[in-house]
Amino acid sequence: MISVYLPGTSWLHRMPARLKLLLLAALSMAILPVQDPLVLGGVFAAVLAFYATLGPQGLKQVRLLRPLASLLLIIFLLHGIGGSWMEGLVAVMRLVSMVLLANLVSVTTRMDDMLEAVMPLFYPLKIFGVSPKKPALAVTLVIRFVPVLLSVYSSLAEAYRARTGKRGSWRLVAPFALQALRLSENVAEALTARGGAAGLGSHIPRTRRGDAGC
Amino acid sequence: MTDRSLVQIAFYAALIAALGLLPKFAIPFLGGVPITAQTLGVMLAGVMLGPVRGALAMLLFLFLIALGAPLLAGGRGGLGVFASPTVGFLIGFPVGAFVAGLIMQRTKTLSVLPAAALAALVGGVGVVYLFGIPGIAIMADLPLAKAAFGAAVFIPGDLIKVAVTAVVAETVARGLPRALLSRG
Amino acid sequence: MAFWTPHRNKRDEEQRFDPALADFAVFEGVGLTLGGREVLKGISLVLSERRIGIVGLNGSGKSSLVRLLNGLHLPGLGSVRIFGAETKAVRAQLPRHVGFVFQNPDHQAIFPTVEEEIAFGLTQLGADKQAARDGASDFLKQHYCEALAKKPFAELSEGQKQLICILAVLVMQPELLVLDEPMASLDGLASRRIQQKLRTLDQKIVLISHDLAVFDGFDRVIWLEDGQVRMDGVPGDVLPAYVADLDRRAGAATDEVDL
Repeated sequence: MISVYLPGTSWLHRMPARLKLLLLAALSMAILPVQDPLVLGGVFAAVLAFYATLGPQGLKQVRLLRPLASLLLIIFLLHGIGGSWMEGLVAVMRLVSMVLLANLVSVTTRMDDMLEAVMPLFYPLKIFGVSPKKPALAVTLVIRFVPVLLSVYSSLAEAYRARTGKRGSWRLVAPFALQALRLSENVAEALTARGGAAGLGSHIPRTRRGDAGC
Repeated sequence: MTDRSLVQIAFYAALIAALGLLPKFAIPFLGGVPITAQTLGVMLAGVMLGPVRGALAMLLFLFLIALGAPLLAGGRGGLGVFASPTVGFLIGFPVGAFVAGLIMQRTKTLSVLPAAALAALVGGVGVVYLFGIPGIAIMADLPLAKAAFGAAVFIPGDLIKVAVTAVVAETVARGLPRALLSRG
Repeated sequence: MAFWTPHRNKRDEEQRFDPALADFAVFEGVGLTLGGREVLKGISLVLSERRIGIVGLNGSGKSSLVRLLNGLHLPGLGSVRIFGAETKAVRAQLPRHVGFVFQNPDHQAIFPTVEEEIAFGLTQLGADKQAARDGASDFLKQHYCEALAKKPFAELSEGQKQLICILAVLVMQPELLVLDEPMASLDGLASRRIQQKLRTLDQKIVLISHDLAVFDGFDRVIWLEDGQVRMDGVPGDVLPAYVADLDRRAGAATDEVDL
């Protein structure tokens, strides 16, 4: 599965994922109320310096900001028109710093490690009788099925093209959604046949209550 | 939650991701404006799966993005999108899907086309903007009115998606009625 | 605009489809590379027979070859002419002359009901909504399928689904019908029904299949291997040679896992 993760061995890569997430949360809370352009400028420079420590590919990761460019411009203009341009600059700098800081964690943490780090958040699900393993399984399923669905779509689009000479159309969304549901039925059956989402093992007694899944 | 619902939720999350990875569609009415199909997926999740599964599918999708999968339209992903000004819209996705699903459930006397249009309009546009606009206001430090003004440019595109969602739901309902789980 | 008209006419003259042409497809030195893999290597063929079968292992280039017939792929090297017109120049018009049926019927149908699915072909040809619906209904009657007209596609049997997919293509009255393993997901009975249906058609047919029994009554079989024509001739010559080769390979593969 593709990911924004950049393989590497920098100090940020080695830092435990949970610590990174906690630091990110604390720093974001700290940056949000800042109004002083000088302080924000310092924060921005520090974040860029962090990227630079990741290695030769580090600073290039700032490109993850590109899709935000037009939005940032609009925000700047909205501040400036009938307000203050300085406020606009502060708002944009703060946003850019926060987005870059958050991405810094994503760029230096593998998806598996990130999932592992947040697993404790799902333990309370037990109270409701839902296995905490399920979110992780669901994540795996999504990663597994995005390419499957893309290939279903390309089959639909190819057949559409064979008949019309045209590329994909919004018309294909309906059969696409239908095929996704139909595939999910087969996969659910196969999953149940292999012991269900909660696994066999310690969960066997639950099945006596007549619900193989939960 | 059964294995079946779990897999359905995962498949819809994957569907929403896949829709974001496809090339943009040209919509024939309204002069062929290209739209990304991803927010269409948000409306579809509620309308097709119902409130609970629809909202969970959206949460799962957001969770994958938070983990670092670049599944948002345009290949965006990672924690950065949750620090960007549009984070309110993302938070609005699961709530919007929930409301859309609820409307589908409560309007079983209506035929699918108007019910899905209403559900997509209220859940997929109304609720999503209800979260999205304050989100911009907070993150970009703008007054609400200005934030609303900035977000308004996306409303025409979203109204087109409401129409497409309604047509898609109606098509699915005729093709395989049991696939419309929100009314099952 | 009139300024451009003579030019366009000239081009039409050059690239006009001539359905009466005996050699309906001509491949000249065709090479094709997909995803960095050379799937077809210098194929030259003239197709004129009514019933042509294509055999070969998965990955031998069968699907790529037939996709060239309807413009789903364009040749990277060389040229493909369909009824006299070069596919590169007439790609957009190819669907009305060359019908294409895929393996999985679920990935072909776009509309919820049978009648709409058939009517779509007619709207593609320019019919308005009402005319298309009437035409679809007549067409289904003509093919003894009127009982299915109002049915949701998803509720049909696999065989019925594939039959409707074939009819949805035939309604556009193509001169050539290309089928890429259309029987692969069908049971024995449904497969035989589809074969019977194909026998009754006036269209020229190019068919890919792993089930060699379906080539009974065919005029020609082309055996592809590794992107090239390994053997080309009447079924009575090609099929036994192909089977012998498969047996030889399967025998040789027992000590090394070479599937």
